[in-house]
Formats: sequence, structure tokens, C-alpha cells
Amino acid sequence: MSHAWIIVTEEKQVAALTLAARGMGGRVIAVVVGPRALADATAAAGPDEVKWVETSQDRPPEAYAGPVARMIAADAPRAVVANATAEGRVLAGMVAARLGAAVIPGGLKLSASGDKTVVERADLDGKVIETVETTGPVVTFYAGDDAANEGSSCASIEQVAADDAADIKVERVEPAAGADAGINKAAVVVSVGRGLKRKDDLEIVRGLADVLGAEIGCSMPVADDLGWVEKERYVGRSGQHIAPRLYIAVGIQGAPQHMEGVRGAKVVVGINNDPDAAIFKSADYGIVGDLYEVVPALRAALGE
Amino acid sequence: MKTVIVYKWARNAEDAAVRSDGSVDWRNAKMTAGEDDFAALEAAKAIAGDDDLVGLTIGDGDASWALARGVLQAVSVTDAPHLTDNASTAAIIAAAVRQIEGVDVVVIGDSEEYAGVPVALAGLLGWPAVAHVGSAAVSDGRVRIIRKQGRNEQTISIAAPVVIAVSAASPEKNIPGMKEQLAARKRPITKLTLAAVGAGCDDRLSSTATKLPETTAARVFAGDPAAAAAQLVAALRGEGVL
Repeated sequence: MSHAWIIVTEEKQVAALTLAARGMGGRVIAVVVGPRALADATAAAGPDEVKWVETSQDRPPEAYAGPVARMIAADAPRAVVANATAEGRVLAGMVAARLGAAVIPGGLKLSASGDKTVVERADLDGKVIETVETTGPVVTFYAGDDAANEGSSCASIEQVAADDAADIKVERVEPAAGADAGINKAAVVVSVGRGLKRKDDLEIVRGLADVLGAEIGCSMPVADDLGWVEKERYVGRSGQHIAPRLYIAVGIQGAPQHMEGVRGAKVVVGINNDPDAAIFKSADYGIVGDLYEVVPALRAALGE
Repeated sequence: MKTVIVYKWARNAEDAAVRSDGSVDWRNAKMTAGEDDFAALEAAKAIAGDDDLVGLTIGDGDASWALARGVLQAVSVTDAPHLTDNASTAAIIAAAVRQIEGVDVVVIGDSEEYAGVPVALAGLLGWPAVAHVGSAAVSDGRVRIIRKQGRNEQTISIAAPVVIAVSAASPEKNIPGMKEQLAARKRPITKLTLAAVGAGCDDRLSSTATKLPETTAARVFAGDPAAAAAQLVAALRGEGVL
């Protein structure tokens, strides 16, 4: 039985991080780097203790990597779990160096087996689940599903002084290009990929979007290489991250980089003529067929 | 600022074939340029300005990649193996960075597949770091980066030394031609070994099993487009999303 730490820089997935760390069989201690409200939310998500490092408004969480690493390393845990966000990873990287820990992206499950720590992780863009083990400490970035809060009690919160933050300053925060685009707020989005043969054929997809009252989105090549759709409508890892009620991917293969942008969608539909397209492994529904036949048929079925 | 651009430091996940039993066959075990390497190089050039920009690569990939893209000198740790532990890979890169005198900034692609390497590198160097960076520049003696965070864009300034992990927003558009490739061959590559940089190659992680993920495959309709569309619409109405 070994205790484990989690690193929290945002409210998302705190309960899931806790649950993953709980796999080591012992207590779970959370270090929260952010405002008091984040510490309060974390305390309610299931860890046994919360250490809170308050950030000043002009300093990002990464500025506190040094003090956080010293605090965790002094406790010598066998496992540390962080979100795979830019901030969480930087903090975890410093912790790993201090602990002399192995670093494992894609962590899904942790367990202790004798003197070994066993980690199940997603590898190769999630195509494979690999089990790895080590006798030393591990730091992993969680890549699993979200989880519900454990129990109903709240952990105690201890504020920890961190006076020696690194010289990193947030100078400006402004809405990103396209942040106010309708696609971000749309309940339904119809997105188009390289399956479309000509720019003029966008009208076919627009017709479906009109019937559904949907916004148009696209995969990266359609906006970046072809320039057929405005860049602020590109959905994916480095594009828009959207959470519509319904997302219809037309002629999109469904690469992980694209699907990362629709992780928050309630229902995902894929339309592709390739039955082996990756979209059918992550979508809820699909139609295998030529989009030039399927999209008009879908319009008709929707009673245009 | 004297800048090191780290490139070709990992295998490309697309070179791996996953068999039906979940085992993995690496058809090309060589280190290749990652999808973020070019964006990292552009950021490194912007940071270095007129100062030195040194390429650093590990493993058996072609080290001339950066030299064909305007970098004038490179260091290659030729016997570095692929390691599962991202911190062990970072330790090799950190050891090589320490061999290069007076480095202010290390720029590296923020690979999603090997997301632990850039941040472990910063930890091992004991330098601050920022990740998921879109672009970078230098002004008033500080590195200024812009990155997307949710629906916002942050401008962050950092004092050197620092590690900058860059995420590509789009792929490289202008691949170097023959002229640049030939010029690259004349540029110096300092070849080092793990022993020379004082790095080990022990992978602290043992892989004990691989399997295919349990996926909830989509409910797929096929055949006559009209019938398939009608079935889909009925299903979506049942879900309450139409």
C-alpha cells in the first residue's frame, strides 16, 4: 500500500486523477496550484488531503514548479498523477526530476504489486494499451475518462507558502482568434474533411447544416492546406475544442488530433466511405457510404 | 540568445503497426522528425535571432534535417536508443545540452505521444518551462511566447534559461529542395556518444503486456443511403439530440 500525489491546475478530471492515484492502495494527497476556489473544488473531489499553493494573477502555475517539486519530493511518494495539460505536465516534469521518477504519458490505471508500480497506459494515439512496471517512482499524465466525485466529505486544505516562484509572467490574456465564432456555442456542428472533392461541394454540406440549424466545422487540412473553410472553424488539437449536442463528421477519417477537439460532444456521427476509418471507432453512430449520396439522403430523412 | 533546437528525438507513432493481438511491430525504428519539430524550429529561429542556433538530435535518424532548414551546426548523440521512459530520453537530451556551452534557451516539439520528454528535460536541467507554445520571440532580454489556452490566447514572458515546448498549428509547407539538402551536407555535425555526454541508456520501465483497447464501436448503418439515413435519424431522435 503506497500513498500517491495528484497535481491539480484545473477543475477538470480531479476526481479521475484521485481515483487513478487511489489505485496505489494508500492515501491520496492533492497539490493544487491555483485560486482558492480550485482548492475547494479539489477538496470535494475525493483526495484525503489538499495542499494549496496560491497563484498570483500574473503568474501561471508553471512558475511554482520548483516549490511544488520540493514539497512532493520531500514526501517521496511512489506515484504522482497529473493532468496532461501544459501546466500540469510542466509541474510534473519538475517533480519527476526531483524524485528521480520515470515519466509515463497516457496513464490510465495505477497499482502497487510488491515493490513494483504497475501502470496501464494508452500508447500510439490510443491504438494500444500497454502495461509497464518499475521498482522506482513514477509520474504519469492521466489520459482516461472522467469520474464522479468520491464520497461526500471534504478534505482539509492546508495553504503552502511558495515565495520562490520562477520569473514567468502572464503579460496578456485575450480571446483567441475565432473564440467568438458560432461554432463554439453551437448545439449542432456539421464538420467536413478531405472526403470532399471540390470546394464547390461545400454547398452539399452547408445544405445539411441549414436543415439542422448547425454551424460548419472542418478538419485541419480543409482549413489550412485547402483554405476552403475559415481557420477559426477548424476543429482539433490546435484548433477549436467544442462541445455540441450533436457533431456530424462528414468525410473525416477521425485522427486523434481531430477527435481531441470534440471530446465534449454528446453524440458524434461519422459519415465515411471507408469502413475501417478511425471515426467509426470513436463515434457513437456512423454511416458507411459515399458522402455525395449519404448527405442528400440525410437531408431528405430530416424532412428538409 | 543562444538557442538549442532539439529535433528527431523520437520514433514516429505512425511507423508502428498494431497487430490484431495488440502487439506492436515497429516497421521503422529510426528517430524521425515529429509533427511539432518544424514549428519548434521556427520558434527557435525567432528566439535565436542573430545569435547561435545549434541543432541537437539523438539516435540514428538523419541529422541533416535541421541543417537543410537553415541551422548552421548540429550535435548528434548517435547511439541513443528509443526508451519507453520519457524521463530517460530527457536525461540523454539534458546531458547533451550540458555539452553545449552557454545555452540560454532549449526549444523542442511538444509531442503528444512523448509528452513527458520536454517537461522532464526542463526538470532535469532545473530550468523553468512552458509547453503548448504556438510562437515565440525575444524582446527586452526576455523570451515572449504566445499559446492558446482554452478560448484565450496568453502572452507569457520568461527569463532565460528556459525550455520552450512548441505545438504545431499546421504541418510544414515548404519542404527543402535539393539545393538546401546539398548545403546541409556541408554543414558540421558533431557526433557524440552516450558515454561522451555522460548519459546512460537504461529504460526504467519494463513493458509486460500490450492489448487492444476496449472500444465501443459506433452503431454503423450501411447499404442503401436513404435507408441508412432514415435509421440514423431515428436513432438520433431516440437520443434526443435532434
